[in-house]
This record gives sequence, C-alpha cells and structure tokens, in this order.
Amino acid sequence: MTDQAIIKTQNLNKNFHDPVEFQALKNINIQINQGEFVSIVGSSGSGKSTLLYVLSTLDTDYTGHIYFDGDDLSLKTKNELAEIRNQKIGFIFQFHYLLPEFTVLENICLPASKLAKYSEEEIKDRAYKKLDLLGLRDQALKKANKLSGGQQQRVALARALINEPKIIFGDEPTGNLDSKNSQNVFDIFKELKEQFNQSIVVVTHDMSFANKTDRIITLKDGEVI
Amino acid sequence: MKKNPLLKIALTHLFSKKRQTIVAMLGVTFGIAIFIFQAGLMSGFQDFFIQETVNTTANIRIYNEAEKNRPSILDKINHQPNHWNAVQNQKPKDEQSKIKNGYQIISILEKDSRVAGVSPFLGSQAIFKVGIAQIAGRVSGVDIVKENILFDVSKNMKQGNITKLETIPNGIILGDGLADLLGAKINDNISVVSPLGVNLDMKIVGINHSGLTDVDKSRAYINIRNAQKLLQVDGSYITDINIKLKDFSQSEELAKFYNSKFGFRSIDWKEANASVFSVFKIQNMVTYLIIVSILVVSGFGIFNILMMIIYEKMPDIAILKAIGYKDRDIKIIFLTESLIIGTSGGLLGLVVGFFMQKIVGSIRMDIKGFVSMEYLHFNSTPGFYLFAFVFGIITTAVAGYIPARKAAKVDAIDIIRSK
Repeated sequence: MTDQAIIKTQNLNKNFHDPVEFQALKNINIQINQGEFVSIVGSSGSGKSTLLYVLSTLDTDYTGHIYFDGDDLSLKTKNELAEIRNQKIGFIFQFHYLLPEFTVLENICLPASKLAKYSEEEIKDRAYKKLDLLGLRDQALKKANKLSGGQQQRVALARALINEPKIIFGDEPTGNLDSKNSQNVFDIFKELKEQFNQSIVVVTHDMSFANKTDRIITLKDGEVI
Repeated sequence: MKKNPLLKIALTHLFSKKRQTIVAMLGVTFGIAIFIFQAGLMSGFQDFFIQETVNTTANIRIYNEAEKNRPSILDKINHQPNHWNAVQNQKPKDEQSKIKNGYQIISILEKDSRVAGVSPFLGSQAIFKVGIAQIAGRVSGVDIVKENILFDVSKNMKQGNITKLETIPNGIILGDGLADLLGAKINDNISVVSPLGVNLDMKIVGINHSGLTDVDKSRAYINIRNAQKLLQVDGSYITDINIKLKDFSQSEELAKFYNSKFGFRSIDWKEANASVFSVFKIQNMVTYLIIVSILVVSGFGIFNILMMIIYEKMPDIAILKAIGYKDRDIKIIFLTESLIIGTSGGLLGLVVGFFMQKIVGSIRMDIKGFVSMEYLHFNSTPGFYLFAFVFGIITTAVAGYIPARKAAKVDAIDIIRSK
C-alpha cells in the first residue's frame, strides 16, 4: 500500500442472498489514491453502485478487505463506521436527499453539527464559505425544497464538503441534471481536485462525463475489466 | 449555546404533521385528564364515605355474639368416633345478648388512657306509628351525652336539641328520612312499639341527618332507659359498648385486646364495614383498568403518528445515516418526538383534569343514595397528578420506543437503492 492510497481493496466479494444467491462483486482489487478523480462505469446490473456502497462503508455485508485511509473497515463497528462517514466521507446522490423543511444553510451544517468539532458560529462561517465556492450564498436561508434541481445538487455538494472529507462519493450525481448543470457539477469536482487535492469517486453511466475523469474503472458482471 | 440538530429535526417532523401531532397530543391530554378526574372522584368519594363511616361507626364496638351453631348436648356427652348423633329441630338457646357487667366494663374503659369516649347502647327493632302511618325501623337506646362525644350527634341535628333527650322523659330524635316517611314534625307525638308488644308514647324532640341515607330512613335515638322499658329488661341491660379512641388507627389492635380482656366480641370499624371496603376495592380496580386502557389507546395514537412520520421520512433517515448520524441518534430523534407529544399532552391533561374537577365539583348535585351529599367531593392530592403524569410519560415512551427502534434499524442503502 502506497502512502497515497486512500482506498484499497483486497479480494473484495459480495453476494446477494435474496431473492436468489447472486454474486454482485467478484474478487475486486482496486486502489484509489489521494487527489484522484475516478469514475466507475458499467451497464446497469454490473455492480457499480454496489461497489460504491461497499467502498463508502454504507454496506457492510461483504467478504475480503477494504482499507480506508490505512484502516481495515471490516474490523470497525457500526458506530465507528458512522464516525468515519461523518469525518472523512462526503456523499452526493442522484436524488439529492436534502431535508426539505430545513434551510439550505441548516442542511449544509448537519454533518458539522454532528461532528461538533467547531462552534455553531464557526460552522456557519464554514458553510458560507462552501456556499461561496458553489455560488449559492444568496440562497442560504431558503428552504431546500424551494431550489431548482441543479441548485439542490450543489447544496448537496456543499454538505458533502463541510467536514472537509478525504474522499467524496457520488452516485450518479449528474443523472438527474441537464447537460449544462452536469457540466457545472463536473467543473466543481475538477476544481476541488485541482485546488484541494480532493479524492473523488463517481459512479456514472454518462460516458462523456466519465471520459473527462482521471481514470475509469469499468465493471462487468461484478468484475473489473 | 449549541443548537441540537436532533431536537430541531424532531420538532420539524412534528410541525410537518401538525394535525396528527395535535390529535396524538390530545389523546394523551384526554387520558391524563380522565385519569385525574376519575381517580380524584373515586378517591374523593371513598374518603368522604370513610369519613362519614368513621363518624357514624364506633372505632370499636363490643357486643355479645349469640352462638349459632351450638353443638347439641348429646354431642357433648357422647362424643365417640364411628358414632353419630341425630338431634333434629334444635333451637337456639334462649340466651340474652346482654353484655354482663356492661357498666363495670364501661367504667374500666373510661379509665383507659387510649380511650376518648365510651357509650352504652341498647338497640331494638321497632315500629313507629303516627295515626295510621306505620314504619318499621330501629331504635337506638343511648346515653345521648356520651353518644355525642362519639358521634357528634349535635352537629347533625337539623331541628331540636339533643339535650332534650335527657330532660324530656319520653323524648325521641328521628332520622330526617324517617320523619319524612311518617309525615311527622318536631314536637309531634308518636308511638313506638317494640317486638315484645310494648307501646311507648313519645314526643319528637329533634330531627337528625347523618348523611347516610339508609340510616336516616330507619333510625331513632331514645334514652337508654326507654329502650330498656321497650324490651322489658332491667336497668343494667345493654347490648353494645361503643368506643371512640384518641387515635383511631389503633382500632384493630385494641379491638383484639378488648376481645381477650372482656371476653366479648370486639370489632373495629374496618371489620364492621368490611363489605363496603371490598366494594371500594372492586371500584378502584375497575377505575384504574379504564384509565389504563385510555392511556394505552393514546399510546397507540402516538405509535401511529410516529410510524407515519418514519415512513414518510425514510429518505431523511437514510441521508442522516449516510452523513454519519448513528443509529442511536436516529432513535433519539423519534423518542424525542414521542416525549414531546407525551409531555405537552400530559401537562395540558393535568390542567384540563384540574379544571374538570373544579367545574364539576362546583355544580350542586344533591345526591341521595348510598350517601347524601350536596357536591361531589374530589381528592386532588398532588400524588395523583404526579402519578398520572409519570404514567403518561411511561406510556408515551413505550409507544415511541418501538417506532424509534424501527427507524434506527432502517438500512440506508435499501432506501437509496430503491429510489
């Protein structure tokens, strides 16, 4: 394992048992380095989303090893994994999953309030900085469900960034966006990578998006090809 | 001060379902209010009744219990195994129910430092006649001054004066119900006929109202000497000795003591009213059963609304878990919601219960039944409020715990994948 690796897998396998026995991931050995912008592609059912959930600690039902920032995830408890997600991982989903009754600012602050490393004032300050970065400062006090889809996705991105994670996982982050907004999100990812040396892993079926990333991991029937 | 995001999330959930939240809250309010009202009413009534009973029943009553299942003489002299004796139609022994040396026992009791008052008593069935009106009842032959120490008879006098029972040789004090039935008024003359056929003409010197309807309909006080005349017995003949203690909680213990000391049956007021207390027990059981089921129903209300919120907020739960909120945090959110409903509903219930008692307690009822009272009596000890509130909170916590646990177990990927 090199110093740069943020994620490394060793003989990673995953089976679904219900409704029928089905091997979703077969012997995956990959490594993702700090500051790398990687996309995972494959046809639907190839196991790309499953891989993302396993890598991002949400899914713990696997065999083999995943080393995250040097730690073996299979040895961690559920609560420890929640802490890792809180401190070191940022998520963006196809459906942005903002809390609709909360303001943009409150949504962004949620992971930081949980971490409770900084005072409430400082958290707000940081949230505004992220909003500036994404050009959303003027929307801060609006309810999340009053924003357009593209704006909501950028809010989700700001929320993913608030605790300054080591890695950002995106599950079809542009799947629901038009080409203009999707280009916008890509530009932000690129900027994060270049300016902050941020690691980014994105699952996508949009090949034009994938082709612009540093590296493409292609899955077919649960295997890396 | 740090804002707790969990509390804010909980509140947001409740506000997003205002109507259901209010209904669930009112469920608890209703449960607690009924609890306080009902428990206060029941216990207030029972306290009132006990007080009336304590006022009208002697702390200890000593009397001569007639032996009923007397063994036959044959059984006594010819008692062998494998033999049986048949004596048919055996009649009770002609035994007087008099307390032997009654007045000596009274003077001993009067010297006892634990005793506040002793009153001799001679009771009999009697028929009261005014013209053609005839009512069966009971006469209580008493020494009215001593009786007054025990039962505060003068407090219950509606008309007349108790001392006239002493000063007027043939005076009688009727219960107000009895006087109504006879159509008799104070200073009227009535005839009292004993089971032995002795007829005394008496003058009504007072009307008495004890509050116990049955007693007021049938009892008359007369001087103990007149009672002895009615029963054609000598001047030392008494059937009961009633005792008032300085501390009535000693009743049970002292009743046992006198029982063995004087050899006559002594019972305390609790034993004398045992049937009433067993009715109270059943009454309490039914009351608490109803109250508990109301609270359980309100618990279901809370359960219901939380389940609704959880199903609706699955994506919220999933994202909170994804961004690092632990299972415990999720559980806290939903438990907080149920406790908010429970606490606010409960506090409101306490207030509503309090005013329900006050309002109903201020309505004039004039109940005449088992006991007669003008207003309903409520027992509003803080204990009931505390108990009701604590019980309400426990119910809501239990009702909230099951959905909260379910929410904590939600698998985030299941939700994210299924979208």
